[in-house]
Amino acid sequence: MRVAEISKLTLLVWLAAVIVAAFFYVHAAEGFIGESSRIVFFHVPMAWIAVLAFLVSCITSVMYLRRRDPRDDIRASVSAGLGLLFAVLATTTGAVFAKIMWGAYWNWDPRQTSITILLLIYAAYLALRGAVDDPERRASLSAVYAILAFVTVPFLVFVVPRIYWSLHPDTIINTRGANEFDSRYTQVLLASVLGFTGLYVWLYTIGCRIETIRQRRRQEVLDV
Amino acid sequence: MSDLMGIAVVTLMIWVGLFGYVYRLDRKLSRLED
Amino acid sequence: MWRWLSEALAVAAKDLRTEFRTRVALNSLGLFALTVLAAVSYTVGPYRIAVEDRPFLLAVLLWIIVFFAALAGLDRSFVKEEESHTAPLLRLAASPAAVWFGKLVYNLCLIYALMAMLVPLYCILMGYKIVLLPAFVVILVLGGFTLAVVTTIIAAIIARAMTRGALFSVLSLPLLLPLMIFLIQGTTGASEGNAETVTNTIRAVLSMGGIMTIVSAVLFPVVWNE
Repeated sequence: MRVAEISKLTLLVWLAAVIVAAFFYVHAAEGFIGESSRIVFFHVPMAWIAVLAFLVSCITSVMYLRRRDPRDDIRASVSAGLGLLFAVLATTTGAVFAKIMWGAYWNWDPRQTSITILLLIYAAYLALRGAVDDPERRASLSAVYAILAFVTVPFLVFVVPRIYWSLHPDTIINTRGANEFDSRYTQVLLASVLGFTGLYVWLYTIGCRIETIRQRRRQEVLDV
Repeated sequence: MSDLMGIAVVTLMIWVGLFGYVYRLDRKLSRLED
Repeated sequence: MWRWLSEALAVAAKDLRTEFRTRVALNSLGLFALTVLAAVSYTVGPYRIAVEDRPFLLAVLLWIIVFFAALAGLDRSFVKEEESHTAPLLRLAASPAAVWFGKLVYNLCLIYALMAMLVPLYCILMGYKIVLLPAFVVILVLGGFTLAVVTTIIAAIIARAMTRGALFSVLSLPLLLPLMIFLIQGTTGASEGNAETVTNTIRAVLSMGGIMTIVSAVLFPVVWNE
């Protein structure tokens, strides 16, 4: 599969270029302390990919409920796991950013709160999967939960920050508000988002393949 | 400036290392599937 | 159409009648709430918190008590069907939509009964002053409704998962956290007399409650028939 090999190599070069650009091509943005604006090139795409992954999990869960194809269940659980992974990465990079900007790794500002709730929700998803033995029941119940979980995401991403703001105006600076970015900044940010999306797609396909093989092995053991 | 260079190099190394790991995993999977 | 509704109300009536006789859930909810209230009132009381912090902190404590009381008692609706093995009978006797709505009504009754007892007591014991009283009531009603909707579907899920106890809280609480944040903000606003905050909250809770209701109504048959 030459195409697959080429795209993987492209991904390697692309994200390597993004990293180099983030540190040397772009100037540190105004309104940020020190060089901390560079973290944004990694933090924002990670958060975006987490949401994308959760969306994929929701969509594949809906598909599972409609056609009961076990592959959809695999897709849903793999994507939820990846979403959790990227959410953890986003939280970590966000905490580092918070330390530089506001002196503390964690001050429960609206976005930190939202991402924590997201982590809890999808950790609960994994807990649910672990609690049910029967594969079909596990698949349906987790599909239902994945859909419910994603319903809260728009509220967490868009509504909570606005509401929290009115409660604790002194602790938050809306980083999205610093929109006077120069064009280099936006270029690299977009490139980073693209690169991370590619990374997600790759990890997603690998995760699905691993899980498929695992299930096939389990089936073979049962058949014997 | 050298601090920045240091962080950049480390990040690059993390990425290349991560890529290599996942790539090997990919290869292994392809072999298992065939 | 009316058959569905009468089936649902029959389910709710049966549950409420059983509950009235055995008082299991009422005890879990009520005792929990009263105990925590007593503890909070004793340790914190109406005087320990500075006046400017009162609207917010007292809102936080109130909703924590309500939410955790709910988590203590609201899984009963489905768990007891599984335990007493009446679930298959219920599946035959009523349509899934009727079961869902009936259980929802049952949970709503529990939540509103809890609130009716707890909230006035809380305001008296903690010296909680609410400026916008009607708005506060609306927030309680809408908040209680959304709480009941979410806990109903999650209770149905864990009843099928065969492992009770912690899983109900683990699944429900993260989903309910955004709601809690909205409710705390709205209650703070109602206490201070900030109409804008209150309207924002009511809008947010209404939309969240509405969406959750529709989604759980659609998904419930899947869980129920598993």
